Amino acid sequence: MAATAERALGKAASRNGERTLGVASLIALAVSAALSLVVAPPDAVQGEVQRIMYVHVPAAWLAYLSFFVVFVASIAYLKTRKTRWDRVAAASAEIGVLFTALAIALGMLWGKPVWGAWWTWDPRLTTTAVLLLIYVGYLAVRRITDNPSRRATWAAVVGIVGFVDVPIVHLSVVWWRSLHQGPTVLRLGAPEIQGTMLLALLGGVAAFTITYAYLMTLRLRVGRLEEREAREALSPIVEVER
Amino acid sequence: MRTLPRTPARVRDAAVELRGVTRLFGPSPALARVDLSIQRGEAVVLRGPNGAGKSTLLRIVATALSPTYGGGSVLGFDLATEREEIRRRCDLLTHRTRLYEELTARENLELFARLLGIPAGRVDEALERVALADAAGERVRMFSAGMRQKVAVARSIVRDPEMLLLDEPTTGLDDAARHVVERMILDAAAERRTLVIATHHPIAPELGARVVSMRDGSVEAGA
Amino acid sequence: MTVLGQASVIARKDLVIEVRGRHALGTLLPFAATVLIAFGFAFGPGRDVLDRVAPGLLWMAVLFSTVIASRRAYQVETEDGALEGLLLAPIDKAAVFLGKAAAVTLELLALVLAVLVLVVLLFDLPVASPLLMIAAFVLGVVGLAAVGSLFGVVAESARTREAIFPMLVLPLVAPVLIAGVRATDLAAAGRSSDVLSWLGLLAAFDVVFLSVGVLVFGYLLED
Repeated sequence: MAATAERALGKAASRNGERTLGVASLIALAVSAALSLVVAPPDAVQGEVQRIMYVHVPAAWLAYLSFFVVFVASIAYLKTRKTRWDRVAAASAEIGVLFTALAIALGMLWGKPVWGAWWTWDPRLTTTAVLLLIYVGYLAVRRITDNPSRRATWAAVVGIVGFVDVPIVHLSVVWWRSLHQGPTVLRLGAPEIQGTMLLALLGGVAAFTITYAYLMTLRLRVGRLEEREAREALSPIVEVER
Repeated sequence: MRTLPRTPARVRDAAVELRGVTRLFGPSPALARVDLSIQRGEAVVLRGPNGAGKSTLLRIVATALSPTYGGGSVLGFDLATEREEIRRRCDLLTHRTRLYEELTARENLELFARLLGIPAGRVDEALERVALADAAGERVRMFSAGMRQKVAVARSIVRDPEMLLLDEPTTGLDDAARHVVERMILDAAAERRTLVIATHHPIAPELGARVVSMRDGSVEAGA
Repeated sequence: MTVLGQASVIARKDLVIEVRGRHALGTLLPFAATVLIAFGFAFGPGRDVLDRVAPGLLWMAVLFSTVIASRRAYQVETEDGALEGLLLAPIDKAAVFLGKAAAVTLELLALVLAVLVLVVLLFDLPVASPLLMIAAFVLGVVGLAAVGSLFGVVAESARTREAIFPMLVLPLVAPVLIAGVRATDLAAAGRSSDVLSWLGLLAAFDVVFLSVGVLVFGYLLED
């Protein structure tokens, strides 16, 4: 009796928390947009195009943060066997795929006017592309088996192995690219980032991170509902606790 | 997956203690909240229609599968945390003989002997006991179902387990092989090994085994 | 028996089966040759292009062959549920991983030797520093075999779709492809000092993936 009341309270609190987070992310994104589009000055060399950086870099940051979360949650799942860690890993992977694809798309949009080509094997973009492929592999592995614990275990292994691989991939791509200096590579960045530009960048990172947190709470709630539905389908035959 | 508290003490008498074992394959439960107790040295026969969960139950006891919910102990070792110890002491025989086609019968046995640190002499003894000494040097690819099952029995003899789990061990076998299997079962019973056999056919009725009936993933009677 | 001892028993078993089944000779080598000739058609006939991309083509052929060899390593185990036999053996499961990786490595190295001869002939690849080139191949193949042997378990599962295994493996081994091709290119041209850093990268990849594989393989095997 008390347990159900407690759970109901927890649910109400978390729904409120969720809503607050949603509002916060909207506000943060709006503020970041204002900072990026209006407040920060245009880049001396690249002009207005450089403003894409204020969404591209945060998106890339989130791509890697999401995968780091997948990594940690995967280890936690293998150690504790608690399904909540699998839920976290799966949610972060799904959201991570979105941010990674976004980061790559924005990188290409930025590259076209700056470099004259959609894709120039820029080291960081290339590593991010490999990251996307590893993510997709992670999600594909989740669809192989219906058995929930096997699915979670296999996914966790991919999550761990994939993350460990990323630094090696990055190193190899950087070395590989350094072989061909080509015409002076205009890095997807700015030579110096000062004052308001830095502010806009950090604002973008903060806004995206809050958005990530909001999306995670949403996705985790859906995950819990999915799990409850699965348990209830079983309950005439099997009574199980969490 | 729920984790149960550890089995408090090595319960020396119990060969199998299952508590609330449930196993899901996808959405449907192959086993639902099964409780089962088997004493050391006991012989138990699992009966039930197809789909009753007999194979799944045997495989969980053998640690080939993990329970989705629930747990227990086998030969005093916890199902969740001491699986390798259980594997050291159990052998599972099913219609899938787990042999390598391109290796000879002897090589298949020697593989396990070497992996488990068992002296090579036991391999020869085992081959003798199942009357395969002549065919030992032929590749398993050439063997009939009956001969393969004989190799599996020989492997079991080599492994010398405390508990034998058999899943329909005589289905599709010729008379000679069936005899070998029954002989092994009777010898095992005489040597006070624990036996759990899932079968439709009456097998070694002289065993006087306890019958456990299953249906739809649950134990109906005899647990 | 130690983990390495068990691994070598398993590796030996895999190689014996390979040699007797003649799969590598019958399938892998023709496949690699076909890939190379196809590349020849795609990028030729101008010698200058082909000579420049020869190391890359070589490694692509090796990469594709890894996918096939790794799958094959586990197809052997599904013949009669043999993989379950390894699971149920009270051995360190890391030994299964290391054994399989070792066997796949040796098969691929044999393939590399044959393909190298082909490439030298077809594309006139110079071999100024043969030792360094061999080192590049050995280190690279070990890494490829490690990843392939790790995820091969997943590939042979019942409901796996065909493309999942290459989709998992190829992005992960990108560093091997990059470093391998660079090292081969430099070794072909005789620029020894530059080769060493790429060899270092390959070695680091190998150490990381073998270690991680040893840690997580058991989880993939259990059900």
